[in-house]
Amino acid sequence: MFTDAPNFDVRDYLRLEMMPHFLCPGCGHGIALRALLWALHDLAIDKDKLAIVSGIGCAGRLSAYIDANTFHTTHGRPLAFATGLALARPDLHVVVISGDGDCLAIGGNHLIHACRRNLKLTCLMLNNEIYGMTGGQVSPTTAETRLTTTTPLGNNEPSFDACALASAAGAGFVGREVTRHVPKLKELMKAGLEHPGFAFIEVLTDCTEVYGRKNELGSSPEMIMRQKSDMRPSAYRNTVDTPFHPTSLPTGILMQNDRPEYGAAYRRAAALAAAKGAKK
Amino acid sequence: MNVVDKARVKPAAKLLSGNNACALGAVAAGCRFFAGYPITPSSEIAERLVTLLPQAGGVFIQMEDEISAMAAVVGASMGGAKAMTATSGPGFSLKQENIGYAAGAEIPCVIVNVMRGGPSTGMPTRPSQADVMQTRFGSHGDYPMIVLAPASVREIYSETIRAFDLAETCRTPVILLYDQVIAQSSETVALEPPTTPRAERKWATGPREEFKPFAVGPDGIPAMAKPGAGYRVHTTGLTHSETGFPSQDPETVNRNLGRLFSKLERHREQIDSWEAVQCDDADVVIVAIGISSRAARRAVEICRASGVRAGLFRPITLWPFPEAPLCAATKNARAVLVPELSIGQLRLEVERLLGRDKVEGLHQFSGEPITPAQIAARATALASEA
Amino acid sequence: MSGSKLASVEAGEASAAPAPIARKTPFNVLIVGVGGQGVIMVSKVLAALAQWRGFEVKQSEVHGMAKRGGSVFSHVRFGERVWSPTIAKGEADVLIALEWAEGLRWLPYLKPATGIFICDTKRIVPPFACLNRKPGAPMRYSRETAEQVANYVAEGYAIDATTMAEELGNERAANVVLLGALSTALDFPIADWESTVSEFVPKKTIAVNLEAFRLGRTWIAEARSPAPATGTPPLLPLAEVPFTPRLEINAAWCKSCDICVKMCPERCLRLNDDRIAELANPEKCTGCRLCEWLCPDFAIRVHLEAQGKAAEEAAR
Repeated sequence: MFTDAPNFDVRDYLRLEMMPHFLCPGCGHGIALRALLWALHDLAIDKDKLAIVSGIGCAGRLSAYIDANTFHTTHGRPLAFATGLALARPDLHVVVISGDGDCLAIGGNHLIHACRRNLKLTCLMLNNEIYGMTGGQVSPTTAETRLTTTTPLGNNEPSFDACALASAAGAGFVGREVTRHVPKLKELMKAGLEHPGFAFIEVLTDCTEVYGRKNELGSSPEMIMRQKSDMRPSAYRNTVDTPFHPTSLPTGILMQNDRPEYGAAYRRAAALAAAKGAKK
Repeated sequence: MNVVDKARVKPAAKLLSGNNACALGAVAAGCRFFAGYPITPSSEIAERLVTLLPQAGGVFIQMEDEISAMAAVVGASMGGAKAMTATSGPGFSLKQENIGYAAGAEIPCVIVNVMRGGPSTGMPTRPSQADVMQTRFGSHGDYPMIVLAPASVREIYSETIRAFDLAETCRTPVILLYDQVIAQSSETVALEPPTTPRAERKWATGPREEFKPFAVGPDGIPAMAKPGAGYRVHTTGLTHSETGFPSQDPETVNRNLGRLFSKLERHREQIDSWEAVQCDDADVVIVAIGISSRAARRAVEICRASGVRAGLFRPITLWPFPEAPLCAATKNARAVLVPELSIGQLRLEVERLLGRDKVEGLHQFSGEPITPAQIAARATALASEA
Repeated sequence: MSGSKLASVEAGEASAAPAPIARKTPFNVLIVGVGGQGVIMVSKVLAALAQWRGFEVKQSEVHGMAKRGGSVFSHVRFGERVWSPTIAKGEADVLIALEWAEGLRWLPYLKPATGIFICDTKRIVPPFACLNRKPGAPMRYSRETAEQVANYVAEGYAIDATTMAEELGNERAANVVLLGALSTALDFPIADWESTVSEFVPKKTIAVNLEAFRLGRTWIAEARSPAPATGTPPLLPLAEVPFTPRLEINAAWCKSCDICVKMCPERCLRLNDDRIAELANPEKCTGCRLCEWLCPDFAIRVHLEAQGKAAEEAAR
């Protein structure tokens, strides 16, 4: 697992002219980005054949730092843009980077249908439980009772279990990991990138500057340490009956199946239709 | 039952609806990707392309909503495919954000908007011409837009092809705008496949180090980097510099937004299209598009038969509006009549160009087309008043 | 296939059929290993077979450590009458170990005069044996050699069951190789062994497991024969890589977030006066890369340099 670490220099995959990036000090998104680039390195994915499609928000801005074909699209829609791109260009390896608000709130519809459709895409949802870019408003994954600028008395909405949602919607691959465990996160991303259908990966990252400060969750290292105790690395056996505890989220590969991939199935059917049309 | 002597009908002639002609035109233009969402009265375009596209090696997908359909079209075009979507009023409203993205990031694509009665859900099966301004200004911010407004089945076919050509040439979204009546009525037409070569996108060539994704270039239209060709560029909806990366430097923003507008101005010769019928000696010039222009054409005949000198000016390219041709066509007219299926949108543009004194509107938003008799009566009255 | 016979057995004894088991006193088999290796499966097969042969059987185990790398053991006792479910120290007739250090840990349970020790040479180093993260630091894993162990047991076999199973195409069958080895210590008919094994392994793997069983059985028979043993088991020295870690810190990218300082297991980083990360105690750095991985700003790169080269550079 670690023996290849010396060979991986993250700078080979960054647009150096864009660095340092614009994320706040201690933002976990940078760690998640490293894990992604490491996974891409491990799988020897050609940067020219790699397309990164991102939405809006802190997570959405990450695409600009990756030395690949990158598309920074509209809020909540990266999965829809990526669907068009992947269908038009099956030769590309399409990775979507989205945030919790981007993916679950404004883009929730696209997420469930992308799961259901099972087109080969890798969707990374960087979950920091907050709308960080806009200054710290409540998001669909903000834990109950947490303080945000739009929940000054404490959040009274339950938070979303994105992985359970993706599993129920039929995603071929669902996984979750924390930024604390970088090699594990990298391995999970590798598994997701290699999955032939739609892969949904939730990365729990810390937002120290906005979310952590407001809720007195401590410094970045403290928030990262807390991830270790808050997570439950176990197989996620039953997405429906397991009660959802935001402080005890299961991590690892939570779902994997071999449902037919949409794009390949479409191309097969289209080739048949074309052959029939030619006969006529 | 009528027995048709097949030998007497032109072999290529077909009974086609406007929406079907649009689908055929798209494939002839090289469209290889369609994403859509069911909506009356544009669904026939999708229902036709679902069989045509796979046969042509293309992709058809019905998306989960109007927004994602537009997004998928832009995504496919970013990958290099000629791509299109089709919708109507409510769906067109939902697509606006991503249409703005396509305009700002300069992604070629074609959007068909079949106008139906509004506001909101309105009258799904009734014609309207009330999206004239939305096609131009629907998305937020400053951006230019090409809108083509065909008025017949044959013209829908040829304008669909032109829409793709303009989109690819000018690296911009192009909207094809027509109303429910011509979308769903069938006409016997002999479609002539285009003989000229289709316009293709300008792709980036040369070394990566020297390539700037949004360089100004000689014609204002930057070459696009095809994913996989080794350029690895960044595309964003944020205002960006020539490098493609976000920038809010005032000078850079000015330069880039300025180029966005000027690139269309530099191609006006290709973009502009209009028809002027008997305008030279006309006392009253009728300005109309779509189904209203067809009633107006008949009204001109009625007027001329009764000695009233009427003419018709029909913008085929609605936006950018053919200003100079309109001014030339109405130079001798004492009055200008704008019949339209809205409370007055086309009239606003005509007024802007000709002044309010000269321009009169004939507005009907009941969901019924305006009849030639209505227009002729109004034109006759205007001629005698003046 | 490799391994060695740990203690010599008289040739005459070896060629004889297994001595009949004293039915009056229970026969004690202790099976030990690490979670996930298949200890319980071995004990189940043995217990089921003994019961089928008409013995009273008692089995006691610690389990539930599956895949967590914890120590797992199972006591199997059978005879005409068995009272206690556990085996006392010095009472085991056979000790089967699926992991080398686990085998050594349980050695005191063997009957000093007659106990048979069958041990896989597989080594699973537990995390607490690597607490010293310094490069090249010794691991606290067992350092005893097979020869040294031979002096402690009446009859012992160090068998590389894992490699043998791997060569058969299924590493997980290592426990059945050991089961085959165990079968030589008992007088149960081979057909009964094989049918019981078939019952307990997944249907798809019956063939490979039976092959593993026979392999283990044959291996012991060969080891018992007077021919010289096949050599010392391949107990590889635990890695001692001579390198020096060097940190490359990009001050322009560092945002002073303190993650590397607080997360370093050796606490060898600090923020300098400009609040930029720096390596304060290079001699404590183990090169574990945690700082590199957790730096959200990509400001740290850990280089592991061969010690000679690092020394050379330092001299310059």
